[in-house]
Amino acid sequence: MSQPRISAYASLANGNALPTRVIQGAKTLQARTSHYIAVDAVHDELAVPNPFAQAILFFRGGANGNEAPIRIIQGPKTLLNAPDNVAVDPVHREVFTASFPTDSILVFRGDASGDVEPVRILHGPNTKLDRPIRVEVDPMNNVLAVVTDHAILVFNRTDKGDAAPKWVISGPKTGVGTRFGTRDVRLFSVGKKIIAGAAIRGPGTTRSAERNEEDGEGRRGGQRFIGVWKYGDNGDIAPWAVLNATPITKIPGSRLALNPEGGDLVVGGDGQVSVYHLPEIFQQRD
Amino acid sequence: MPGRPDRARIQWSVVAAILLTVTCWMQTRHWSGAAVAQEANKTSERRPLVLDRAPARNIADPNPVFRAIVIDAEHGEVFMANDKESAGTSILVYPTQFPPTNRIMEPRRRIAGPKTDLGMVCGLALSVEHGEMYSVSGETGTLNVYPLDARGNVGPGRQLRGVIPRASAGVFLDVKNDELFITTEHVNRISVYPRTFQQDQEPLRYIQGPTTGLADPHGIYVDSETNEIFVSNHGNWRKTETGEGEVRGPDSLTRTSLGYNIPGRALPLAPSTGKFLPPSITVHSRTASGNAALLRMIQGPHTLLNLPDGLYRDPVSGEIIVANTGDDSVLFFDKDASGDAAPVRVLKGTATKLKGPAGVSIDAKRNELWVASWDGHIAGVFPRTANGNVAPLRVIRTAAESAPLASMGRIGAVAYDPKRKEILAPN
Repeated sequence: MSQPRISAYASLANGNALPTRVIQGAKTLQARTSHYIAVDAVHDELAVPNPFAQAILFFRGGANGNEAPIRIIQGPKTLLNAPDNVAVDPVHREVFTASFPTDSILVFRGDASGDVEPVRILHGPNTKLDRPIRVEVDPMNNVLAVVTDHAILVFNRTDKGDAAPKWVISGPKTGVGTRFGTRDVRLFSVGKKIIAGAAIRGPGTTRSAERNEEDGEGRRGGQRFIGVWKYGDNGDIAPWAVLNATPITKIPGSRLALNPEGGDLVVGGDGQVSVYHLPEIFQQRD
Repeated sequence: MPGRPDRARIQWSVVAAILLTVTCWMQTRHWSGAAVAQEANKTSERRPLVLDRAPARNIADPNPVFRAIVIDAEHGEVFMANDKESAGTSILVYPTQFPPTNRIMEPRRRIAGPKTDLGMVCGLALSVEHGEMYSVSGETGTLNVYPLDARGNVGPGRQLRGVIPRASAGVFLDVKNDELFITTEHVNRISVYPRTFQQDQEPLRYIQGPTTGLADPHGIYVDSETNEIFVSNHGNWRKTETGEGEVRGPDSLTRTSLGYNIPGRALPLAPSTGKFLPPSITVHSRTASGNAALLRMIQGPHTLLNLPDGLYRDPVSGEIIVANTGDDSVLFFDKDASGDAAPVRVLKGTATKLKGPAGVSIDAKRNELWVASWDGHIAGVFPRTANGNVAPLRVIRTAAESAPLASMGRIGAVAYDPKRKEILAPN
């Protein structure tokens, strides 16, 4: 890329579309390609991490061009270390980030600014947090989902300290975890669904043999898919629904966004964004 | 005719059985994992609902872009890195001399394909003497070496993999001293390798640490006459430790480079050190090592630096040339510039056609300045001493002039804004 940016496209955009706006420029204080962006629709804000300057940036929801953040969480008290993800709970006005270097989840007040301490920290051996890369919060059902090296862990939203997860989705039948290419987890509150990219390895495949098959998303071969699990799924359990990577589906990656109103699953990767119309996922009941 | 109904029933039964088999096969053919699950564990007999269908819409720019740029003046060729995944990352080779045209120009050679293992090719360097080309991948932290005349889907002849910290950006070959210099954004580092490196060879030395002034380094240029290293920095800073980012097994200090699949020890919760610094050009001794203090720094409001990227030094005037991505310009600084120094000239304006310039180089043989303009899908050729709002002598373009500007690079995430009904894509 030429510079860090956030490009916005109309939900019905298709092809080599013009963005409706682009947030870019030195004033935005973005670093490299941001690995995450959270939309706070209630307070009309965007939250974006900056791992190099150890900061979380907040923009107006309608920010455009070379526009500065409206506030920044940054400083020694924050304990931020290479933050590259952020989730927002607009109901309880809190901000979450999974800390990959420190095996922890840091929680801040949603309107925090400057050098502030986390209001809660989830950290310790019982948490099973092992290289957490993403966190997502469901304020309606009070759950917190975290992608780790080899699992999706689900906690109570207000858990802190050395709390154990209430559900652990992990194992060869699930195919989830960073090592399998999971880069995102999304929660559909109304239907109580957990959505994540994953991969099932073929029998006899070893990591070293797959080394040269790893692509830019860190995927290491195997059968890639986007899986949908239900709240309460626990253990080595197959997903409730799958969107497999096939020549027809052409899944470009495992970065995910949900548009429940339109019944769309948005998938990003490989320098493109694909929109899948999957109303089955967004039904309130199965 | 008592046998007829039976035959018809049998025929229909066969058809029904085939249909049932096909249906079951369609349900399970993409889900071997579920079948395995069901066989292995009776408590997990869920049969996933298969939702396989084509995307309703796809947003992508199919046109290549130009980022790093290096020139083989002897053979009259220019090499440019295309890091656009939706166009297939590649190294594109064009002649330096061609009649001016506004049409899309096909490259003379194209290096691309799975065997090349190019990754997100960010930096390029050449050795005409040894007939080699060097490419650095930002995401995978690899340095590849190809023959200078390579084309198509060819594997690298040599490769450094697993020893360069992840997210490297720029590479420069110091011909005189036969050394390769590489910058790494995530861990504020310059690594130095012998040009003749072997697989997994350790660096000869590296510059890294809080007194180096490195802050999200990008472009790099080494002057072997003055023994100076010039580095462009975006200004995102945190305190790094010397050796950080090196892959040395489970205890290595690699977590902060965000290589998710690279093992590394967990760090304690500790006070943050991050801060935003103004963008800069840092100048280091060519032989510096470890946490060595920088020699000088160009930084401040008068410099006009704004997301600086590619760097080059004018072989005649000694000026430091900077691709100033953030304000669509190229800046030229005096050879001894330091502090809050204003550029001695600026190439900027609508006539230049520059949008998001990321790479610069000089064709000393033909006295021309080359600028890779990422957003505009073009490389522009200017007189070496161009100044102000001047039109390029000629351009190489990969997309029609009417095509939308490139606005989507590597996708780091996607989000949906329900209020504006927009898809947001950091890239």
